Amino acid sequence: MSRNWLIENQGLFFMAPAMILFAVFVLYPIFYIFNASLYDWDGINEAIYVGIQNYIDMFTDDRPFGLAIRNSIYWTFLTIFPQMFLGFILASILTSGIPFQNVFRIIFFMPAIISPVVLGIVWQRIYAPFGGLLADLAFETGAHFLRQEYLSSSRLAIFSTIFVNVWQWTGFSMLMYVAGLQGLPGEVLSAAQVDGANAWQRIRHVVWPMLRHVHLTLILLGVIGTLQTFALVYMLTNGGPSSASEMLPTYIFRKAFPLQSMGYASALAVVLLVIALSASIFQVRVLGSRFTIGD
Amino acid sequence: MYRKVVFAVCVLLVLAVSAPILAQDEVVVRFRSWSPVIATTEAMIAAFNEANPDITIEPDITNYPEYLVDLQTMAAGGALPDLIGLEPGALTQQYRDHLMPLQDCAVSTWGEDWEDQFFPVGIEQARLGNPEGDDNIYGLPVLVQTINMWYTVPIFEEAGVEPPTTYDELKELADLFNAQGIAPVMIGAGDGWIRRDVYMQLIHNVAPGLIYEAEDGMASFTDEPFVEAMTWWKRLFDDGIFQMGALGMTHYPAAVEQIQAGRAAMFPMGAWWQQQAGNPDPPPLDENLQGYAPFKFPDVTGMGAPEDLLGGIDVMMGVTRGSANPDAACKVITDWISGAGAQALINTYNDLPAYIGLRPESFGSENQEAVWDLFTEDWLASVKYARQLKSPDVKQALEDALAAVAAGEMTPAEGMQLVQDANM
Repeated sequence: MSRNWLIENQGLFFMAPAMILFAVFVLYPIFYIFNASLYDWDGINEAIYVGIQNYIDMFTDDRPFGLAIRNSIYWTFLTIFPQMFLGFILASILTSGIPFQNVFRIIFFMPAIISPVVLGIVWQRIYAPFGGLLADLAFETGAHFLRQEYLSSSRLAIFSTIFVNVWQWTGFSMLMYVAGLQGLPGEVLSAAQVDGANAWQRIRHVVWPMLRHVHLTLILLGVIGTLQTFALVYMLTNGGPSSASEMLPTYIFRKAFPLQSMGYASALAVVLLVIALSASIFQVRVLGSRFTIGD
Repeated sequence: MYRKVVFAVCVLLVLAVSAPILAQDEVVVRFRSWSPVIATTEAMIAAFNEANPDITIEPDITNYPEYLVDLQTMAAGGALPDLIGLEPGALTQQYRDHLMPLQDCAVSTWGEDWEDQFFPVGIEQARLGNPEGDDNIYGLPVLVQTINMWYTVPIFEEAGVEPPTTYDELKELADLFNAQGIAPVMIGAGDGWIRRDVYMQLIHNVAPGLIYEAEDGMASFTDEPFVEAMTWWKRLFDDGIFQMGALGMTHYPAAVEQIQAGRAAMFPMGAWWQQQAGNPDPPPLDENLQGYAPFKFPDVTGMGAPEDLLGGIDVMMGVTRGSANPDAACKVITDWISGAGAQALINTYNDLPAYIGLRPESFGSENQEAVWDLFTEDWLASVKYARQLKSPDVKQALEDALAAVAAGEMTPAEGMQLVQDANM
């Protein structure tokens, strides 16, 4: 190896640590999981090679998988956009100079810093139709519609869980919009006002488009959050009843550990990886990569 | 300076060489399980160490779901501890290749007739799911149990009623208690195991023993009795026997909190419910078990409830093949089954002893003693069928089917077809 070769290729040596870490902690696990997905394996005893049978079963004969995909779509649209909308409204109010606006910002942001495990336990007790807060409220006030099978009805469970998620993360969206609103150039808003734009027109045609980088960031984080959703669902419904609120991560966990189908769970993880990669590529290609840094 | 450095190096070398020798004198038994709870385990260890100070036991007790994850991860990494907690059937069979046969350990402790010193159901179920021709015991039973129903005594006394023996009586009581805002039968049906427990009692009423024949392929899960039992299961929800929202609730801790608060008239549980009396600072109903009494699952078919009960092993323990100290592990297990450790365990009323003749050293109330005697002298001897199923796939399919039928997503027939498919 000549001295010239070393000098010409010195960049490789600078890249090496990152490449090695990437190979060990990203590429190897992906390869390992893909390999495991081709086996019927309980994670304990000897594995039996089954080829792509796990994938065939998944797409032809796996109701919980179908429900997890359906719920992921629900989750994406019913958390990201309501959170953005509500967060923007709150941010608009809490940057308008109302009294105690900083106190309100803290209160609205607080759920975002509480562990989903704690929230799961608390909301389970709020939702419980027997002995729960809403049920007792219904009993005391006569507002019987409040007593519903929020978590035990296969029709309601996923939406009840999504509601808690929106409640938790709206404060985070609000904070992002507060930062975005405070960074808007005042002269543009003043110019719009001078040109005769009313409050709605200023929001619709000036403020909202200028916050594009915040919208994109929240969408990106929302999609990542959807694909990672685990703790809240695990605590509130454990994916039930009858898989009605199953999400891909909870289903992967259930298959891998309680059901001890590590091979099948690996196949599910590969599919999740493909979905995550596709979503990332879609976002970069269609929405662009101008997130918090702006245009 | 040079001499000091040489001296220091020599000291370090001597320490490095002697450390493993010193460590070899210490016998460590690593124990991992979900049961008994840590406070009880520590009491058992203390009792064991009084006679065996040379053996150090390192316990690690976690909740059952986390324990399964731990166990699988450790097995995959080749790092199983010496001693592990097991359930008969599916769980033991999954780890069978990692477990040592324990007959020799049992014979050396209790003699050739050791099996006679246990309640029969414990020995039968210790082999549950073994392949044909494999008579090894991969785990020794520590605690056994029945599954049954309980009622809250003050609620029944205030209402002036008796525990139900038929479905009609159960329905009448349900209407009465629902009107009072009390859960007739409190169940956390979000947990698969309690769904299965109730179904096992229903099918036991409809066709005793048939489910085990179906597991062995001698009957089909789609046969009429299974569908009928599944239909009864659905009726328990539709008729308001179970409290509203049962399917979205865990049995532990959510349903138990309501039971302890006196908001449940009846509830499915098992002999292990006696352990409530052993908890520190128990709520009034739990104290000395004064608030509860057991009863048998009502006869839903009208053909008469079976005299026997379902039950079996609550927890058994196995020694792993990779154990560095199998003899010490054997000593620990056998002490916890019939020695000082076992007495410490039974004193907490954790569940019923698998070893015949053990009894808590004291009871807090006459009711508690009467309940203990009922279980050990009457009910346990009549346990004929297992609470557990052999196949993990069938077990899971049944739990899934029960949830789907209760949620109205499947008909009883469709639910049982799901179970049959898992048994192919």
